[in-house]
Order: sequence, then C-alpha cells, then structure tokens
Amino acid sequence: MRVRNRPNSSVEPEAGGTEPLDLLTPQSAAVSAGELRFAQLGIAQFALRSGDPATVHAEIAARVAAAPALLTRAPVVLDVSALDPTPDTAQMQALIEAVRSAGLLPVGLTHGTVNEEALARALELPLFARFRASSDLPAAAAVERKPAAAPRAAPVVGTGSSVGMHHALPVRSGQQVYARQRDLILTAMVGNGAEVIADGSIHVYGTLRGRALAGASGDATARIYCQNFQAELISIAGQYRVFEEHSPDLHGKPVQAWLDDDKLRIAPLA
Amino acid sequence: MTEIIVVTSGKGGVGKTTTSASLAVGLAKRGRKVAVIDFDVGLRNLDLIMGCERRVVYDFVNVIQNECTIKQALIKDKRYENLFVLAASQTRDKDALTREGVERVLDELREADFDYVVCDSPAGIEKGAFLAMYFADRAIVVVNPEVSSVRDSDRILGLLASKTRHAEVGTRRVEQHLLLTRYNPERVARGDMMSIADVEEILGLEILGVVPESESVLAGSNAGTPVILDNESPAGQAYDDAVGRLLGDSLPMRFTEAQKKGFLSRLFGA
Ligand SMILES: Nc1ncnc2c1ncn2[C@@H]1O[C@H](COP(=O)(O)OP(=O)(O)OP(=O)(O)O)[C@@H](O)[C@H]1O
Ligand SMILES: [Mg+2]
Repeated sequence: MRVRNRPNSSVEPEAGGTEPLDLLTPQSAAVSAGELRFAQLGIAQFALRSGDPATVHAEIAARVAAAPALLTRAPVVLDVSALDPTPDTAQMQALIEAVRSAGLLPVGLTHGTVNEEALARALELPLFARFRASSDLPAAAAVERKPAAAPRAAPVVGTGSSVGMHHALPVRSGQQVYARQRDLILTAMVGNGAEVIADGSIHVYGTLRGRALAGASGDATARIYCQNFQAELISIAGQYRVFEEHSPDLHGKPVQAWLDDDKLRIAPLA
Repeated sequence: MTEIIVVTSGKGGVGKTTTSASLAVGLAKRGRKVAVIDFDVGLRNLDLIMGCERRVVYDFVNVIQNECTIKQALIKDKRYENLFVLAASQTRDKDALTREGVERVLDELREADFDYVVCDSPAGIEKGAFLAMYFADRAIVVVNPEVSSVRDSDRILGLLASKTRHAEVGTRRVEQHLLLTRYNPERVARGDMMSIADVEEILGLEILGVVPESESVLAGSNAGTPVILDNESPAGQAYDDAVGRLLGDSLPMRFTEAQKKGFLSRLFGA
C-alpha cells in the first residue's frame, strides 16, 4: 500500500474535490523568492499521557502499524498538558525522538501553560491551538452528546458537533474530499482511486468504489454508510481493511461499517 | 459566441486525434466555422489525419511565440472553406506552450468569429493536456471499453471539474461528454470487453456516442481523410451521429449490437 500523509487539504475543505497536483504554478518564472499561502491543514494531535519515551514509542508504533497508510510520516502536534510536571527540554527531546522513531513526524506543540510555551521556544517548535478533547468539553455540551454505546478510551480528538459537509459532485480518481471535524455526506459516486475522508462519519448515497476513511482524527464512534459497496479500502479511526476481492454478500449492497472494540465490522444494511 | 471544445482522455492512443478530426469536419459539414488545434507539441499528427501535412508552414508554437499571425498559421481545409487546422510543432517541446499564449490564440479565434475551436489534447495529465483543457467550455472525453482507459477518464473528468478556468472562476461547469470508441460488440457479447452500461455506470455519465472498432479508421487516417467523411464506414456514421447529438439531435445508438451472423459467414467462419 502506498504510504501517504494523513488528510491535509491544501485547499479549503469546502472547496470540494481537491486535486493535489498543482499544474498551474510553474507557468511563469516568478520574480519573488517564494509565495506565502495559508491553508487549513487537517493535522493530528497526540495527547501524551506518559512521560516515558519507551511507553510512548510502543503506543505510537502500534497505532502506526495498524494504519500505516494513514499514519506513516503523518505530521503530528504534541499535547503535553496532561504531563505533570511539564517535561524539561531534554526529556521533551527524548519524547519527540520516541514519536519520530515510531513513525509520526512531530511538527509542534500545543498552546498551553507558560512552561509549555517556554519549552516550545527552547526546542524552536511552533505552537498550535489545542483541539478540544472530548474529555474537556463543557458539561452542557457533554449532556447533549448521546451516551456512548460502550465506555471506551476517549478519542484523541473530539469531532465536536456540526452539520455535515455535503458534496454533490462525483469524487473521481485522484480527487480527495475531506470534511474536517464533521460528517461527510456524498450524493454522487466515489470512483476508484478517489478518497473521501471525514473526522466524523461518511455517508455515500451512491456507489463507493474508492477509499473511505471515517474518524480520521481518531473518533472510533464514526461510521461509514453507503448505498452500493464496492470500496477499495475503508478505515475507521485508523482501523482499516483493504478489499482486493469483495464477498458477494457485501458487493454492490447497501452496507455500513463501524468499530466494535477496535475491530472493523462491515454488514449489509437491513 | 465561440465554443471551445477539448477532446481529451488521459490515456494515450484511445482515439483523441481521430475524434478531433471527425468532430471538426462534422461541425464544418453542418456549416459551422471551425478551427481544430493540435496541442500535441512534438508529436504532431492531426495535420496528417486532416490531410494537410504538406501545407504546414507555421504552427501553433509560432503563433504563441509571436513569430507569425494566427491568420498565417491557420491552414484552410481543402474540402470545407469554413474549416481550419492549426498544426502542432514537430520540433519544439511542450514547454513552448504557455497559458497566456494559449489564451491569446483562443481570444483571437473568438474575435475572428469562429463558432467552434476543437482542441486535440495530448495524452497524460501534464502541461500540454492541462493547457488543452484549461479554457474549455465543453469536453469530449474519449474512452475505450477497458479498465485502464475508464480509470484515466475518471481522473480527467475530475480535473475538468477542478482544474479548468470555468471551475476556478466558478461561474459554470465544463459540459462533459463521454465518447466510447473502438467498441467491439462481438467481444462485449462474448464478455471480454466492457459494455456501454458498464462504462456509464462506473463513470456516472451518459455516453454521447459509441464508435465501433473499424478498419476504415486507419485507412482514412492514411489517406488524410477523417473517417466521418466515409459514409460507408460504421465508424464514420457513428461519428456523424455523435456530432448530431452534440448539436441537439436525438438519434438512436447504432452499431452497438453484435452482428447476427448470416448463413454464409457461419459456414465459412468469417
Ligand atoms: N474506431 C476505431 N477503430 C479502429 N481503430 C481506431 C479507432 N479509433 C482510433 N483507432 C486507431 O487507434 C490509433 C490511435 O488513434 P489516435 O491517434 O486518434 O489516438 P490518440 O488518442 O490521439 O493518441 P495519442 O494519445 O497518441 O494522441 C490509430 O492507429 C487509429 O487509427
Ligand atoms: Mg493524438
């Protein structure tokens, strides 16, 4: 399987089918030394719950091994707010090396206390806004959340709640559509070699022939639904399955996929 | 109003140039003023198929580089005085084409009141193919009934929806049509070629026309006579139907069923 970074949309996610190849840039010899652009990147965060490099390495290596296509060399921002005391520069360097050698590429730290900001400066790393983990959603929001089907480890990132992103055009080979922190609803087909990604669930009211990656930021409660299942790959929260051949009881059928205790399950929709 | 039509495919050798020539002739035959441009710089062969290779003095690249006027470079067809060919350069490479240059040439053709400009795209998704499609109002995606061609067409359809001027400005979409060529009903009946329905289903688009595999195509190319001018040829008639449909005629598909073998041919196994 091709190794690639996790979804990062260099175009606004809402722009729909994003085509990674930039055929336009080298048209004229630029006078300036570069071009500064801003894009919203879908980037992973990892909340460290252990200050021990070996433990961190083992944990991340296991996740990368479970979803190499999604995670290998994926950029990641480290959140050290759960570590008390805040690691010092040397310990942080060891943790960063542990993350790196496990397969992710640390690119910064999350905003936090004065200590964490000093640490980032010492390491010459940028600071990123911290995602709200579902564990620190305000109480009112927590009440609105449906009680989780089964108690399980909090996802690395909460998807929050919002109306899903609607995409009405076919997603074709080489295109990628990413719904950041929400569901993705597609009302046309997803072709072979196309990729649809959501931090929430994915609903395809058409034929799914390409790849669908739900819960892309770690939400294990995300699901994938489609009207006509012919996917090449599906993944939920990093647990994925490749379909070289389809079983006749799923192929071409309406299907849903979900995680059952970290096991990816797929069944026809009754 | 000038309409720019790109004939494209992604995959090579599927019949783009054959289609461009027949489309241009078919439109000219119906009284429209047409220019057909070869974007395959370095591998020119539209002029051969159009039968004007000996009259190429200036080419597309000469016009783009201001070495001659568009008027000097347009070669008038011997059969239709409202049909013109702009040949590709055989000696330059693709970098000779620039977006500004292509735009200028197309604008000059608009000013010269052409009804249609047909752009014969090179294979691939590199610069030449990109420039051929960038300014298109309408696209004819030529597809053969085989998996790799269908996959490439899907990719091209995705690019048409995202990497064209209409897509970037967002005012309208490029009209997309599928033209299925080199179709062999006998092989489809035997189950070793994709059917019309298979291709329509996978690409999620209706087919504009089906051009059967036919020896008259090669014969016409060698003679410099686009196959649409061969009234005896099934391929020629199919092209004529497709041009009619493009202009709004509703015509039934022909040459899509396997021939019932007559007694004699069965006897002799022809
Ligand atoms: N309907 C057909 N029946 C038989 N042969 C065909 C048919 N259409 C095209 N061909 C043959 O296929 C070959 C390729 O056709 P053509 O040059 O039009 O393709 P193309 O897509 O322009 O190729 P390229 O990608 O190299 O530009 C030629 O030899 C042509 O004669
Ligand atoms: Mg060609």
